[in-house]
Amino acid sequence: MQVNKPENFNANVKKALAQTDLKMIIRRTTDKADSKRAEAVANFPEFENARTQGQKVKDHTIKYMDHYLAEFEKNALAQGTIVHWASTGEEASKIVLDICRQHKAKKVTRSKSMLGEEIGLTHAFDNSEMERIETDLAEHIIQLAGDPPSHIVWPAMHRSREDVIKLFRQFHKDPTYSEEIVDLVGSARRDLRTKFLTSDIGISGSNFLLADSGSSCTVTNEGNAELTITPPKVHIVTAGIEKLVPSMAHAVPLLRLLTRSATGAEITQYITFHNGPKRPNDADGPQECHIVLVDNGRTKMLADGMEEMLRCIRCGACMNHCVVYKHIGGHAYGSVYPGPMGSVLTPHLNSLEVANKQTHACTMNGRCEEVCPVNIPLPKLLRSLRAQSWEKKFEPLTNRFFVQAFSQVAKRPKLFQFASACGVIFMKVFSRKGWIRFMPMTSGWTRNRDLIAPSSQTFMQQYKKMKKAKSGGG
Amino acid sequence: MSDKISNKQISDLSRARIFKAIKAAAPTVTADISKIEAEALEILGMSESARPRLLSSDATEALMLRIEAGLVIGTTCEKIATLDALPASVKQFFNKHSLPHALKVQELAHLQSLNWDGITIDVDVKEDKTVGLCWAEYGVAETGSFVVHSSADMPILLNFLPLYLVAVIAKSKVLHYMDDYALIANEIAKKAETPRNMCLISGVSGTTDIEGVLVQGAHGPEILHIIIVEDR
Repeated sequence: MQVNKPENFNANVKKALAQTDLKMIIRRTTDKADSKRAEAVANFPEFENARTQGQKVKDHTIKYMDHYLAEFEKNALAQGTIVHWASTGEEASKIVLDICRQHKAKKVTRSKSMLGEEIGLTHAFDNSEMERIETDLAEHIIQLAGDPPSHIVWPAMHRSREDVIKLFRQFHKDPTYSEEIVDLVGSARRDLRTKFLTSDIGISGSNFLLADSGSSCTVTNEGNAELTITPPKVHIVTAGIEKLVPSMAHAVPLLRLLTRSATGAEITQYITFHNGPKRPNDADGPQECHIVLVDNGRTKMLADGMEEMLRCIRCGACMNHCVVYKHIGGHAYGSVYPGPMGSVLTPHLNSLEVANKQTHACTMNGRCEEVCPVNIPLPKLLRSLRAQSWEKKFEPLTNRFFVQAFSQVAKRPKLFQFASACGVIFMKVFSRKGWIRFMPMTSGWTRNRDLIAPSSQTFMQQYKKMKKAKSGGG
Repeated sequence: MSDKISNKQISDLSRARIFKAIKAAAPTVTADISKIEAEALEILGMSESARPRLLSSDATEALMLRIEAGLVIGTTCEKIATLDALPASVKQFFNKHSLPHALKVQELAHLQSLNWDGITIDVDVKEDKTVGLCWAEYGVAETGSFVVHSSADMPILLNFLPLYLVAVIAKSKVLHYMDDYALIANEIAKKAETPRNMCLISGVSGTTDIEGVLVQGAHGPEILHIIIVEDR
């Protein structure tokens, strides 16, 4: 599959909307996540308190980021972990690949981490002499398909069972000929089992970094992180510096929020804290442990007044509840991070010039902020990015012209009312039974769906009428 | 040495750059450590009103009720009075799932010395479809979890490779909340005895990655049975 670029957002969206089954495929997952989350929140009356606490944990850590980073480094070193720092994704990938090469690695297993995708690690391995094996089932599917992830929690949600059947039959050594999902999972289990046990290096991300112990924490339902990390002789963690929390006790409220918000479950099956290499007498575990702490735009977010975004714990609730995401899916964003959180992150990881169109793909309905487990004001952040984009003149000239023309009209109430009255008449010409199937200048909307016909009177006309009726009636 | 910049130099440069950028950004305040610690502690004070209520005030009962209510995926549980009753419980587990009487018992003296007559206790868990039996350090009622720590006697893979897993928890080690476990972990850390891995396991290996359908036994256990020993 061809990888979309963020700068081609409009074309990507056009392509996504033309794919008729995409909406159904997306909603199969997001609607379930949506209702299961609602159920989990309803069963947890203290949810609002937990949210406030979670936000406080993140804000506190961000406020004292340098202190906690130094603490983390000191304690990780004391555990025997080798600590690396990377300003950019490129640097981080290079560090990881060089460690693998020092150990003459041939096979590398990796448990799902969006940071790994962000820093281009998957790509870097594919261009190397080493074999990369994704062990999360969804990442395994998209690796076989050659797709980028389309969701941060369910990266393969755009692939149907039929796709998976084809892929597994093509790539698995001992594939199943059953079409049942349970047998497909069994086929992946068989295929990955020997790969887990014969890997040279295990790479993981980290959901939390504990400053007071230098631990990294992985959270999975499949248990693939532990199977990735334990057998090989070397474990490499890649983590963004915003993953820090002061201690395990501070990670606990975030764990309560994370799973409920992501899948609607109360907790994930596996939460593991990794504390360096194996101890001298340990029965198993890696002999060497590295952690690569990655900035890649995060300190810039701090400097740009976007520190609220650094609270993000990557649950995906914002995209599951986003009307835009549900129509266009993850690939259209052209970034590892789609949906509302992605539209805020991508301009910082890439550049606003390249990823400004995503910030406009928002109806400002506020659902993302409502469901965010750490109260990130996503609409506010998107609005501020829009403002920056406007100031820096990143908008196309035609857009600038229309917006400026609109602002001129809107500043003159008489003219505005006249124009909207004309608009109502104009739209009426094209409406049939309350719907508009075609109208000049609205093809972007009507290509894929009808436009609802306006009321026969403008807002101001209705308002005046209502006011008059009220004063008459009173 | 090549004239190219080494990874150590890249890392050192990046480290300096990251700290400088954080210092330059407005939100960072160079406060004294006791102030930071006090603020961090204050946030933890909120936990009591920010966590779910348990199904019982008794931790063991709460843990069992949670599992019996089907809230812990793929998991069943039972209580036995003494550890001597463990082999009989394991036999029942074999019979329930029509399994051959063979498993891997964790190499701990108090487990190995039980009367395992009629049961093979040293199967190779690298083979798929095996049964593992492990001794958990703790239980957590809030999440229906058992906790294992890596050690000379505890291979972490014992909890991940078998298709069927039996976890034994001492009743006295069942905690109410994850916060209680975090406190214990903190105590262990103070003694500089933190194990390489601390795993909170709440149910079996599962996935919803294909069309959102839940399948158990993705990579690890498909069935988990928790046995609580009352006199321990």
